[in-house]
Amino acid sequence: MKRKVARKKRPAGAKPAKPARAKPVRKRAPPSVRPRASHTIRPERDFVDGLMAASAEALGVTIEPGWRKGVKFNLRLVLDHAARVEAFCLADDAEPAPVFHA
Amino acid sequence: MWSTAADIAAAVTSGSVSATRVIEAALLRIRENAPLLNSFTAITEERALAAAQEIDLAVTAGKPRGPLAGVPFAVKNLFDIKDVPTLAGSKINREAPPAARDAALIERLEAAGAILVGALNMGEYAYDFTGENVHDGAAHNPHDVERMTGGSSSGSAAAVAGGDVPLSLGSDTNGSIRVPSSLCGLFGLKPTYGRLSRARSFPFVASLDHVGPFARSTRDLALAYDAMQGRDPDDPACADRASEPALALLERGTDGLRIAVAGGYFRCRSAEPLAAIDCIAAALGVNRDIEIPEAERARSAAFIITASEGASLHLDRLRARAKDFDPAVRDRLIAGAMLPASLVVKAQKFRRWYRDAFLKLFDEVDAILAPATPCTAPLIGQDTFMFDEVELPVRANLGLYTQPISFIGLPVVAVPVPLEPLPIGVQIIAAPWREDVALRVAHALEAKGIVAAPRPAL
Repeated sequence: MKRKVARKKRPAGAKPAKPARAKPVRKRAPPSVRPRASHTIRPERDFVDGLMAASAEALGVTIEPGWRKGVKFNLRLVLDHAARVEAFCLADDAEPAPVFHA
Repeated sequence: MWSTAADIAAAVTSGSVSATRVIEAALLRIRENAPLLNSFTAITEERALAAAQEIDLAVTAGKPRGPLAGVPFAVKNLFDIKDVPTLAGSKINREAPPAARDAALIERLEAAGAILVGALNMGEYAYDFTGENVHDGAAHNPHDVERMTGGSSSGSAAAVAGGDVPLSLGSDTNGSIRVPSSLCGLFGLKPTYGRLSRARSFPFVASLDHVGPFARSTRDLALAYDAMQGRDPDDPACADRASEPALALLERGTDGLRIAVAGGYFRCRSAEPLAAIDCIAAALGVNRDIEIPEAERARSAAFIITASEGASLHLDRLRARAKDFDPAVRDRLIAGAMLPASLVVKAQKFRRWYRDAFLKLFDEVDAILAPATPCTAPLIGQDTFMFDEVELPVRANLGLYTQPISFIGLPVVAVPVPLEPLPIGVQIIAAPWREDVALRVAHALEAKGIVAAPRPAL
């Protein structure tokens, strides 16, 4: 059995303790080295099953029982790739490149 | 049909051989190879013989015939051929009416004197790296007919590597020219995105679709490439850019070019790609590695955009006729339709970031060498392969070295290193619009005998 660790409660209205030293002002890092996104895609089992069912209904696509394994494999695969891209932080003014001119 | 396109054109132009004789020989070879290679899905015999007769009449009359006079060529069956349904490797498109007009690139090659002899097998709707097709059967690798050609331009590679024709056209969204070039031991050119017109070809992923030639020599690639360049308002992505002929620049060699080997993500431990890269780097005296930033993430972003745009293109067909798809393609497309839009937009934003980061490398180098495929040709039907001691699915991973490059539309020449028992390709990557640089490097390697399209024992 896991032990529960009791958290020390702060009295109501009390201010949070100040940090010992003020944090230095940080220069904004370029997008490539900014911190990773705090949340990313988690293609876990139930998540993928639920997404598959809801998307198929919303899109009007029928998935026959014999296709489920293949669709699920591919959905997990593409979500894994999406997670890798989603974890990359871009600036708010980053422009997409849907019509690309090299 | 082992002569190069350049030699055929020279012989036809000089009158030492007739175009009709060349085409008859090609048609005979195509029929002989058909049971072995399964590379063609349509043969345009009547049209080809009529075109050959016209060329012969022009030769007799002393009229101009063009730099590809009498050269037989064939096209992946996603290019429109007048009076032929454009299959795009599918069952569904067999019901489409015959095309009303030829694809832009067919028109341009024919204007240069080349002669179309047919349409070529391909992976369904170009969503394929293997060359397998449940409707038409797999195309077979001429170097070992038990093995894959690679895809999706499977027939385009098999027909040239097997000696049916000296020249073919394919498309490349994520590697569909470079992967089959590598597995079949050919030269393939994926030009800069927007360089060659895609007009009247069946699309796959508008953001990433390219078209280009396969050949057994660099000179033939350049001949075809020069004949096909130029603006085309019928393709919205075709650049408003004048032709920049490359053929005349081939002999300039590599003097003055700064060349590096792609490191990091591209530096695998698998024997064949490593041997191929090392062989080429040594021949060119290249001793510098360069890191391509975020290449693995770029591949993932290409994967996402492909899945989503491909699914969007086919969604109506998936609703109405899912059972008529190749099951492997159907499952991938349905999965792609389920990808949340915000993730696709992120991939497109990342694409611009990656492009800016990658282009900075060309301040330091003119060309980058990278493997074309992670392995030589797998067996037809093989599901997985070993890569850096990890077992990976074949279908999804044959393009792991090509996807991060086409993702931002850079020009690449795939060159064949004739390893035994099977060849493998190397990508020569250049800056946007510098196909001439990649072709010069390829030509220099060919002149040194380091790269060559091996003749199979068919």
